[in-house]
Amino acid sequence: MTKEVDNTEYKAPIEFNTGVTNVIALGKPEGETVRIGGENILPFHFFDDGSWPNPPVFALQILDREPPEDLPNFLHEPFKDAVHDPAKWAKKVEEFDYVDAIQLYLLSTDPADQDSPPEKAAEVTRRVAETTSLPLIIYGSGDPDKDAKVLPAVCEAVDGMNYLIGPVQKENYEVLGKAILAHGLFASVQTPMDINLLKEVNVKLGHFFPLERIVIDPLSPALGYGIEYTYSLMERIKQLGEIIKDKMTQMPMIADFATEVWRSKQAGENEEQGILWEAMTSLSLLTAGANILTHRHLKSMKLVKEMYESEVKQWQK
Amino acid sequence: MVIIGENIHVIAGVVNQAIKVRDSKPIQDLAKSQVQAEADYLDLNLGPLTKNPEETIRWVINTVQQVTDLPLSLDTMNPVAMEAGLPLCNKRPLINSASGKKDSKERMLPLAKKYNCDVVVSVINDRGMPPDVEMKTESIMDTVAHANELGIPSEDMWVDPIVLPVSTAGEGQCFAQASLEFIKIIAEVLPGIKSTVGLSNISNGAPNELRPLLNRTYLVMLQRYGLYSAIADPLDKEIMSLIQGEMTDVVSLIYRIMDGEVIDLSSLSQKEIDYVKTARVLTGEVLYSDAWLD
Repeated sequence: MTKEVDNTEYKAPIEFNTGVTNVIALGKPEGETVRIGGENILPFHFFDDGSWPNPPVFALQILDREPPEDLPNFLHEPFKDAVHDPAKWAKKVEEFDYVDAIQLYLLSTDPADQDSPPEKAAEVTRRVAETTSLPLIIYGSGDPDKDAKVLPAVCEAVDGMNYLIGPVQKENYEVLGKAILAHGLFASVQTPMDINLLKEVNVKLGHFFPLERIVIDPLSPALGYGIEYTYSLMERIKQLGEIIKDKMTQMPMIADFATEVWRSKQAGENEEQGILWEAMTSLSLLTAGANILTHRHLKSMKLVKEMYESEVKQWQK
Repeated sequence: MVIIGENIHVIAGVVNQAIKVRDSKPIQDLAKSQVQAEADYLDLNLGPLTKNPEETIRWVINTVQQVTDLPLSLDTMNPVAMEAGLPLCNKRPLINSASGKKDSKERMLPLAKKYNCDVVVSVINDRGMPPDVEMKTESIMDTVAHANELGIPSEDMWVDPIVLPVSTAGEGQCFAQASLEFIKIIAEVLPGIKSTVGLSNISNGAPNELRPLLNRTYLVMLQRYGLYSAIADPLDKEIMSLIQGEMTDVVSLIYRIMDGEVIDLSSLSQKEIDYVKTARVLTGEVLYSDAWLD
């Protein structure tokens, strides 16, 4: 018997997902705003039926104190005359038009750093917010107890400005959720690379906090330090949200790797390697579906953003 | 369904202490309460028994047999202790357990033939824990074939897919499905074989107060697929009612979830809603979180 050759033309399947990621607009009413979310296709699946309407947001990380000695000098070279004052630093960032947002990292509040008080953090934040028109992403030290004291004061200082506040964790979501909601802000909810815990915290927070005001922070390590875990976690979050329509994973995601990248030995060794280390981390998590990417080096941000704009943006719909 | 009472367990502090000081009462109390709750077997989980294996297992068996004549499931991975214990059993005992590991095949499995008793055979082998239903089946077929060659009939073997916690991030729900599938097909693959599971492990890592709900729901699902027995907590009255056909409304709700039916929660009682939500997690329809009932 001869086998029949199938001559019918091959057609790639076109997927259609009905779960849509929540849309969030960040930024103060009189300043610039960025929109994230709204997608119902998987990352870069522009060939599918649906859309990913909002391009990724590139946020540059600045600190609430002068950069610690152990960070390489080249990292803050463009800002060397401004790093002593977070407000000046933020103003200077505006000169680089490819920066979409600023991440203000309240490093000095860390009990392991200067353990500076909530009032100081609130004052610094207020001044930065007054100075820059860019949207702010304000991150506490990550120490759950200290953040529970610092971030409510910070929220009060930026009342009504539609900024993103984090990291909200399982230990402090009640206190932080209330403060964030009371001041009309958004919550960046961080769980340590665990999809079940991520869902649990969102469920519990969702009892009193609108899910539409949540951004997922799955914790992002640097390239070479376990990034593949976050990569597959992000993939899974998108699939669950869009295909399975699990409401607890239908939030935009932030890849907050700036601190982690520059903690790595490789990034600090020399500038070119550092830029590429951060760029590769960013690009990887961008392809996994991150909506916000935090960089610390201007050039790595420029590299990835230009790559996105020249190669991907034409397909965006 | 044959219920093997799990409560005499060396991990429980009170049992551990009682064995250490040779205090019969706590162990006999646990035995009596499980007998009263209509357990069919009593599991004596003694762990690895690194110290005085023979003397210890003999003491525990004698202690328990003073207050009950239920058959015993001797639960230790120590073959020396196992061999010391088997001849003491008044009723035909169950060896819990053997596996496809070389060591177990050589030292544990032959005891089932030598003492003419039943034996739990798990899917674990020298490569570890087979993750999916295909590999579990392949592994158990090898081990059962080996046991048949030793002269152990399939009817004496209770195969165990090894239930793992559903709460394990990323994989737990797949594991729960794999064990269910295994129970569903095993009677066809190995005619005459019996089956069992260590039920409570499904809820390991989940909030303590919610664990029984996972155990009960999963047992109903396994029972539907023909599970022969389970090592479980007979003191959980609801488990016993469920498997004895006294809660048909809940059972049929769980079956409907397994069949992929969409169920309107508005007409259900809170208890029924909890069962529906739990079944949705165990089928993998909804992502697990510790707050799955919220």
